[in-house]
Amino acid sequence: MLRNVFTKTLWDARRSLLGWMIGTAAVAMMYASFYPQLANGAMEEAMKSFPQSMKDAFRLNDMTSAAGYLGANTFGIIVPLLALFFGASTGARAIAGDEESGQLDLLLAHPVSRARLLLERFAALAAGSVVISAAVLGALLLIRPAAKLTGVSAGQLAAQCVNLALLAVFFGALAICAGSAAGRRGLVFGATAVIGVLAYAMNSFGPQLGLEWAQKLSPFYYYIGGDPLRNGFQWGDAGVLAGASAVLVCAGLLTFTRRDINT
Amino acid sequence: MDAAIQLTGLAKTYGRRRGLTGLTLDVHHGEIFGYLGPNGAGKSTTIRLLLDLIRPSAGTARVLGLDPRADAVALHRRIGYLAGDFVVDGRQTVRECLRFLANLRGNGGAARIGELAERLDLDLTARIRSLSKGNRQKVGLVQAFMHSPELLILDEPTSGLDPLVQHTFLDLVREARAAGQTVFMSSHIMSEVQAVADRVGILREGALVALDSVEALRERAVRKVEITFAAPVSAEEFTVDGVSDLAVDGTVLRCRVSGSPDALVKAAARHTVTGLLSEEPDLEELFLTYYEGGAGHAA
Repeated sequence: MLRNVFTKTLWDARRSLLGWMIGTAAVAMMYASFYPQLANGAMEEAMKSFPQSMKDAFRLNDMTSAAGYLGANTFGIIVPLLALFFGASTGARAIAGDEESGQLDLLLAHPVSRARLLLERFAALAAGSVVISAAVLGALLLIRPAAKLTGVSAGQLAAQCVNLALLAVFFGALAICAGSAAGRRGLVFGATAVIGVLAYAMNSFGPQLGLEWAQKLSPFYYYIGGDPLRNGFQWGDAGVLAGASAVLVCAGLLTFTRRDINT
Repeated sequence: MDAAIQLTGLAKTYGRRRGLTGLTLDVHHGEIFGYLGPNGAGKSTTIRLLLDLIRPSAGTARVLGLDPRADAVALHRRIGYLAGDFVVDGRQTVRECLRFLANLRGNGGAARIGELAERLDLDLTARIRSLSKGNRQKVGLVQAFMHSPELLILDEPTSGLDPLVQHTFLDLVREARAAGQTVFMSSHIMSEVQAVADRVGILREGALVALDSVEALRERAVRKVEITFAAPVSAEEFTVDGVSDLAVDGTVLRCRVSGSPDALVKAAARHTVTGLLSEEPDLEELFLTYYEGGAGHAA
């Protein structure tokens, strides 16, 4: 585990990563397990009086089907926001965190180029995102029969979880890109989280505000807009998230290899 | 032969603050070079430029014949570096930390971990976070020395070390020189550099104010002299070259002498001398004059 920056980063993060896996999977499982109680129309009834625009924003139009329920609540709010915060905090640590604590000096005085350091840190972040999403997928597959969620196939769940991983990767790449320029962890984390929450709002409320174009700028749109829980893998959307992450990482490389490392 | 470190007009400005102003300096292969200056003089700035952690505003640096920026990876393979503020993740054990750093260097990187840890009395199984400042510094020393690099760049290497370990450290530095390695070490304390350095450079406000061998500096240094005579003497006779802070109290003369004591000795020879006491030249004081920007000239 001590061979290179990639494995060392994962090894150092093992406890926190385990926490993210268990936490995110448990939250997903808990939300999903309420489906049988709410699927009988009680929820639909309760929300009858909600304004249509609110239902649109929070994807509440179909709370009776398994796909509608999971899309509105499990994958609609809490899990993607956890993915956002995982990406933002891990990405902020990748460069800015170590730079602020002074650890970057030592690593970069070794035969490790700045580009390689950044790429290995990003790879570790991507691996973490995949592992967390896999834990969510595993947890949901586990309770699918008991929670009467068999209306969504394993493939459809997997499709949504692929996008979940890519969402975390995207915000991680954004934080790494910001950290490559700023080198201050708190600032980078805060900025990424704020952008993430705004992007979430843009995706939810954009259409009601007549800002369809704004919705299409939001990574959350590519995460769930194609409705993978009904339509399966959305390779185009996944490609947009992956491509945007790649662009952010490249921008990070350009700035990080050019600037001074702060003390 | 190329110098181990060759700096030409090297400058670094941080915004409007100047960190380093046109530094020109050669460090020879196989020497121990002491780089002295008060805090904030630009020592760490110079070192971080050598390692490509920061980029110069002007001038060039060649290290082991390579360009710090273009050849960074190849160069870092041949360098051992100890930062002025050595920080690593506290959750790992010392062994984990050193193994990882050795792996980054590839083959042979870990060769001396066991031996060095033993000599410095460093517990490899301890968690870094549980270590005292001095023990943490030992981890830094081991990682700098463990692969026997051609060039050691040490920023304030003895900070936090107890006297016994400082002694071991100086042995390590001397052994490195004997093995043909070059050592570039910074400090703000003369005495720790004086003991091992072949040459010393003194930095003040980003510029080199002195560059010479320790021997030559010693000759220019100020020493305290006390002479006792058989009969009372008058002060006027002793206002000769190199003498300052002269005080005569009956038969006892006290003064400071910079450079050669010849004139003073010749003046004293006119009387009967019953006692003569001359202290080791105080290099520390010489450095203070340089630091304060007073007397002293770059050699």
